[in-house]
Amino acid sequence: MSKKILLLSSVIFLSSCASNNISELGDKFLDLINPSNNATEVAMLSGEETLVAMGETGGFTIDELEELSNDELIAIVREKGLEDLILLDEDGNLLNRDQLINAIVESAALLESKSEELESMSDDELIEVAVTKGLSDQIELDDDGNLANRDELIDALVESAAAIEAAISEFSNNANSFTLYFAYDDTEIDEVATRIIIQHANFMQENPSVNLRLEGHADERGTREYNLALGENRALSVKEVLGLYNLDDRIIVVSYGEEVPILTGSNEEAWEKNRRVEFSYY
Amino acid sequence: MKILKFFVTLSIFVSLSASALLEVNIIKSREAAFPIVIAPFEIVGNSNNVDIAKIIRDNLNRSGQFNALSTQALITNQIDFSFWQEHKKDAVVFGKIEQVSSKVYNVYIYIYDVFSEKSLYQKKIQVHNSGFRRIAHFLSDKIYYVLLGQKGSFDTRLSYVTVSENSNGGKTYKLQISDSDGFNPQTVVRSSNPILSPAWSKDQKKLAYVSFKNNRSEVFVMTPFIKTIPIKLPKFDGIASSPTWHPDGNSIALTISKKGNKDIYLYDLNSEELKRLTKNISIDTEASFSPDGNKIAFTSNRTGQVQVYIKDLKSEKISRATFEGRYNAKPVFSPDGKDLALIHRVGKDYRLALLDIASRDLTVMTQNKSDESPYFSPNGGMIIFSTNRENKGILSIISLQNNQIVELMQKEGEVREPSWSNYSN
Repeated sequence: MSKKILLLSSVIFLSSCASNNISELGDKFLDLINPSNNATEVAMLSGEETLVAMGETGGFTIDELEELSNDELIAIVREKGLEDLILLDEDGNLLNRDQLINAIVESAALLESKSEELESMSDDELIEVAVTKGLSDQIELDDDGNLANRDELIDALVESAAAIEAAISEFSNNANSFTLYFAYDDTEIDEVATRIIIQHANFMQENPSVNLRLEGHADERGTREYNLALGENRALSVKEVLGLYNLDDRIIVVSYGEEVPILTGSNEEAWEKNRRVEFSYY
Repeated sequence: MKILKFFVTLSIFVSLSASALLEVNIIKSREAAFPIVIAPFEIVGNSNNVDIAKIIRDNLNRSGQFNALSTQALITNQIDFSFWQEHKKDAVVFGKIEQVSSKVYNVYIYIYDVFSEKSLYQKKIQVHNSGFRRIAHFLSDKIYYVLLGQKGSFDTRLSYVTVSENSNGGKTYKLQISDSDGFNPQTVVRSSNPILSPAWSKDQKKLAYVSFKNNRSEVFVMTPFIKTIPIKLPKFDGIASSPTWHPDGNSIALTISKKGNKDIYLYDLNSEELKRLTKNISIDTEASFSPDGNKIAFTSNRTGQVQVYIKDLKSEKISRATFEGRYNAKPVFSPDGKDLALIHRVGKDYRLALLDIASRDLTVMTQNKSDESPYFSPNGGMIIFSTNRENKGILSIISLQNNQIVELMQKEGEVREPSWSNYSN
């Protein structure tokens, strides 16, 4: 059976058109394609909105980016200093076009290494990070209260991040589970799960600079937004147990609802794996 | 002038049915559909290859209100009314496209009543080359109104989310908008993290949606027709999700998790004040405003089961709306405020259902396994929702006139989370 397809051809999209009168509508069509009309649209923006000449993607709309050739995309990616992302095959053909487009769209958020991330921060942000990581004693301020040892502080933070990573890696190698599973539409923590949570609580107490992100998930059944709430409740019930160890301040809870399944497929096997809370340390 | 012989090309409807209808064992009352003829438009000068008559025919047939056929020959100004009377057609529509300059065209349309043999409507409209689809939707609404006395929902837009797999295993999520027939898709937000719950403001100028771009659920508002940076609603503690516009366009109801307790709040975009609409230790989410803005319907598991409730915002009274079944969620008000479309669990399946609020009558509309995110067309004649076909997310539009279903899908990847804009007036 052939089915209707959403055509992917991109045609100029007419903005909303205020007219009940059919002849006015004809005129309106001519107005709409006239660029001068943009000024009226802009003027209609409320004061809360920031009009920018360039969108989040730079000087391109998403559709425009998608129409570019691979070579043009590569040139933009190089311009943004993201050439490390480019993957070419032996013949020099681009392998990861989609990823590059996503990278251009999200370029602000793209920082590969910990040190790059820290380098990009302001002094104030660095100080904040150092405090949350328990490295306040490493912060040196000059007479004006400015950060005096920026480079050393970055080194210390990178070092501490490496130490945390090593600790997490050791913890996970000791066959500790980083995922808890739940029953349908349920947030109950059973005995097995409680034992796992206690191991995590001990780990966090032994490693005071480690912070935990609890990610709640649901299976695909039921509505997306309800599942988003359900996923959060699952993560919160894990946090509640960890709270008994006074770890509340070091835990953030997020929910992905049914959006990030481990297994795809509409069967009990997939659903069981997808109703979960994941532990993620940082 | 010589009157041409016409043959009703029945195959058009059959082939269109094959491309537009899904086989469901709900009885299709095709007899109830209005039988009309829409002849191909006469073309004077160069055509721009947009078949206006076909777009109109497809629109009207999709609504379930019409059985619109084509003709093999053009109809100009002489109409063989007795022929159409014999063939039981109620109305004849024909038109002409006349090129004025390289980019400008005159479009003429004529609607005749076959039995009174009288003109019901005729009009000349000037359009730009790029406005042909739009004018076809506008004329579809016109025909709908002239023949049925009701507004159509054709010159409107959809928003939805597409998901595709990248070559490197990641995913690309796109918030797209399109015409009501799924044509003219345009990507307005793109991300490698999930996007959900797009909702049009009533004036069609803004879309609220949920993005995980910062690795948590946050609500954003963007202007799809103007290039601006999407505005994030203030950072709330915990999840922020499920945005829905108050009909006045000045505030958004959304679900916020404060200290882990998920309730529905009203966020005023001007004063930036947050007002709590529900107060319950359980999950309250998925709010929808009644058309007058005086009530919200929402999903709650306050009794231990997931059910739909309605809160009267004036009297503050909350009443349960669904009593059939153990799972009813994601309610949305019909434009007349009398019905709720919602997702109802039947055995292991989650199906679109229609609830008559006053009588509490619940009608299950599909036989699908996992329907989600229902939304009414602005005239209330159709419901769009997402569902699965062979493990792939697609959009489905059901006509409430005769339960006819039209499916919209992506060639590659999934499409989900539909929302239907209001009229553009």
